[in-house]
Amino acid sequence: MKKYLIATTFLAGIAAAGVALADDDDCNVAMSNWQPREAVKAMAEAQGWSVRRIKTDDGCYEIDGRDAQGREIEVKVDPGTLAIVEMEYEDDDDDDDDDYGESRQNAAPAGSVAPPDNGLFTPGSKPVVKQ
Amino acid sequence: MKTLLATLALTTALSAPALAAPVTLTTNLSNYGGDGAYLALYVTDSKGVYKGSLWMAGGKAKYYKHLSDWNRATGGNTAEISGITGASVGAGRQLKITLDLADALFDAGYELHIDAAVEDFRDSPSEVVVPLTRAGANKPVAGRHYIQDFTYGL
Repeated sequence: MKKYLIATTFLAGIAAAGVALADDDDCNVAMSNWQPREAVKAMAEAQGWSVRRIKTDDGCYEIDGRDAQGREIEVKVDPGTLAIVEMEYEDDDDDDDDDYGESRQNAAPAGSVAPPDNGLFTPGSKPVVKQ
Repeated sequence: MKTLLATLALTTALSAPALAAPVTLTTNLSNYGGDGAYLALYVTDSKGVYKGSLWMAGGKAKYYKHLSDWNRATGGNTAEISGITGASVGAGRQLKITLDLADALFDAGYELHIDAAVEDFRDSPSEVVVPLTRAGANKPVAGRHYIQDFTYGL
C-alpha cells in the first residue's frame, strides 16, 4: 500500500510539472489549425531568409537559418498565422531571462561587416567601436 | 600638360577629404543603476524625417520597439542596422564609435538622434538631438535620463 502511495505521488508530481511546462508555451494553437511546414518555408523564403531547419519549440514553429544579410537567425513563428513571435540573432546570447544584454556576452559583430548603403556612410568604410 | 596633371592631382587630393570624414561619436552613460542600455543613433533631416541609422547598441531585435522614435521611423527593419549593430552599453560606461561619414551631413540641417531604452525603466526616445554642424563638433551635449553626455568629433 505504501509503495502504491509513493508511486501515485510521484506520478502526480510528474503530471503537475508537465502542466506547468505546457503553460510556458510561446504559441498556443490547436494542432488542427497548424499550417504545414511548406507554408513556413515559403514565408521564410519570402523574407529573403535561407532555411536550414524548421522545428517546433514552445508550441511554435522555429526557423533556423540565415537572413538576407547572411546573419544566423532563429525565428519563432505562430503556427496558425505565421506571424513572427520572436526573432533572435544567433550571435546574441540565448538566455531569454537575461537582461537587455551584457557587453561581454553580447559582443559587436567583428570581421568584414559593412554599414548599410543609406547614403550616410562612405561606401566600403568600416565602423570602429570601443566600449 | 604637366600643369594640368598637377592641378588634377591637387584637386583630387583636396576633394577626397571633402567627400568623407572620419567622425568619432562618443556617448557616456550616467550611473542610472540599471542593466545595459540599448541605444539607436540615427540621422534625420531638418524636418525630422529619418535618413538612416549610424549605430545600434544592443543585439536583440525584440527590444528595438522600445527605441520608439527609431522604431516608428524604420518599422523596426533590421536591414537598417545590418553591419552597424553592437553590444548594449552598461551604466556609467562609454560607447565610442568612429565612422566614415559623408561630408554632406554637416552644416546641411541634419540632426543626430539617440533613442535610449533600459529594461524595466522608462523608454527615452530622442534623448539626445543634436544638429550636425562643424561648429558644434567636440562640444558635449547632455542627455536626459541615461546619457550623461554625447560628443561628435571631426
